[in-house]
Amino acid sequence: MRARAVELSGLTKAFGDFVAVDGVSAVALPGQVTALLGPNGAGKTTTLRMLLGLVAPSGGTATFDGKRYDELSEPVRQVGALLEASGCHPGRTALAHLRILATAARLPREAPERVLEETGLAADARRRVGEYSLGMRQRLGLAAAMLGDPSVLVLDEPTNGLDPPGVRWLRGYVRRLADEGRTVLLSSHALSEVELTADHVLVLTHGRLLRSSTLAEFRAEAGVGSRVRTPDPHRLGAALDAAGHAYRLVDDGLAVDAPPERVGELAAAHGVVLHRLEGTADLEQAFFRLIQGTDQVAQPESTQEAVS
Amino acid sequence: MKALVLAELLKIRSTRTQVALVLATLAFVPWTAALTIPKKGAENVPVSLDDPRLLGVAIGNSFGAPIVLMLLLGGVAFTQEFRYGTVTSMYLVEPQRIRILVAKWVTLVLVGGVVATLTLVVSVPFSAALIGFRDGEVSLGVTFWEMVAAGFVVMPVFGVIGVAIGALVRNQITAVVAVLVWMLALEQLVISSYPEVGRWMPGATSFVLLQMGPSVDPDGELLSASAAGLLLAAYTAVAVALALRLTPKRDVL
Repeated sequence: MRARAVELSGLTKAFGDFVAVDGVSAVALPGQVTALLGPNGAGKTTTLRMLLGLVAPSGGTATFDGKRYDELSEPVRQVGALLEASGCHPGRTALAHLRILATAARLPREAPERVLEETGLAADARRRVGEYSLGMRQRLGLAAAMLGDPSVLVLDEPTNGLDPPGVRWLRGYVRRLADEGRTVLLSSHALSEVELTADHVLVLTHGRLLRSSTLAEFRAEAGVGSRVRTPDPHRLGAALDAAGHAYRLVDDGLAVDAPPERVGELAAAHGVVLHRLEGTADLEQAFFRLIQGTDQVAQPESTQEAVS
Repeated sequence: MKALVLAELLKIRSTRTQVALVLATLAFVPWTAALTIPKKGAENVPVSLDDPRLLGVAIGNSFGAPIVLMLLLGGVAFTQEFRYGTVTSMYLVEPQRIRILVAKWVTLVLVGGVVATLTLVVSVPFSAALIGFRDGEVSLGVTFWEMVAAGFVVMPVFGVIGVAIGALVRNQITAVVAVLVWMLALEQLVISSYPEVGRWMPGATSFVLLQMGPSVDPDGELLSASAAGLLLAAYTAVAVALALRLTPKRDVL
């Protein structure tokens, strides 16, 4: 298996006057999980569909090691994709669905059973997909993506419908695939969903690429808060209040919206003993600030709900 | 191509809808065949009990419901992919969409052969028995063999047209309603009310080829068999050409 890099170059899609994707250029490398982030309607799905040849770009290119998807000799063995959890006839069993794809792609007969085992669906292989939960259908979509044991994975909102154990399983699964040397490009509308998995983030909003950086860079820039453990949280809280810094009590101390140096100075000035002081990075807030910076309307749904 | 056709056949076998449609249609076959077999002593009938063409005409008429079935099966073969989102995974497996389109046509040609066979398996013994029961003439003459041959041509052709309709319309409900309204209401109405227009319609060509003329066109205003055959070929070519042209270009959102 030789992993391929995914390259988007000036990728553009216009539907009439509406520009859904506007000149996006980015790279996803082998051995890494690259997260395409953005609020709903940012153009993530359209970008991935152009990459996979399902939507014709108005401009630019999307390639796998320089080849368009329709130029790949055995696409299913080279690229696996999960685009919609509902992409299966509800009257078919999961096994029948995968056998159809395996037959069409000339894959070995045992491929469906292998991926059903990998995705934890082996026991439900002969149940009709209409009886599946959304999370099970999402796993089935992943199974279909892995059918050809591809070197590149393209996953559109793969955590949709998964329960917390399912999300944890997916994180481990995706991480393992990247550690095996595969290229993983996945989309999400929430940074918190990918911050434990992704190596690189591409932030998209209103069809434009706002940011392309490693998660470590993003985390370093976002490091604005502190976590403090003290035997006297109320005195420290009063000092923070007086200095105009917001804080909240958490399990083992205080979470403060100020850098650790400032908190340390205030504690020293007021003679408050500290047992622990560390900087924290609120990546989600940093992500929201980034996308809100371009347009106040471009808030993710969760933020809009929190505001209202 | 063989792999894609095998996958299409697996699709048909792995859901109940298509099998249920075929069985429901076969239930209509004896009824439509019986419509052309007159009762004893009946007068002013298109084909009399002692006419040696009677078995052939009954067989031709029995293909009336299967024609609609083939259009539906062809249409559903594509619209179902869009309805359930499976078109995405098929286009990922085979990004050359025309190959998928051709695989569906090949599959529907094969299915057309199966449907024609099943129709004959039901209609021939039933019609022969009913004609014999009414003391008519059971003859395996030229008309009979013409109808058998026509069935094996017309069924696959309507399957091919159905696939093209599905590829062009994409919305399953729209495609199914359009086929049913067109074949069961509009064409029947136009042929009976305005035969000079109706004779040029696609369904009318099948009526000619399957010699349903005596039952649907007592005044003989439909086209000749050769003209109807050419016209059906032209309709098929146009549908195929449009599907080939538009399918590779359309976005799958």
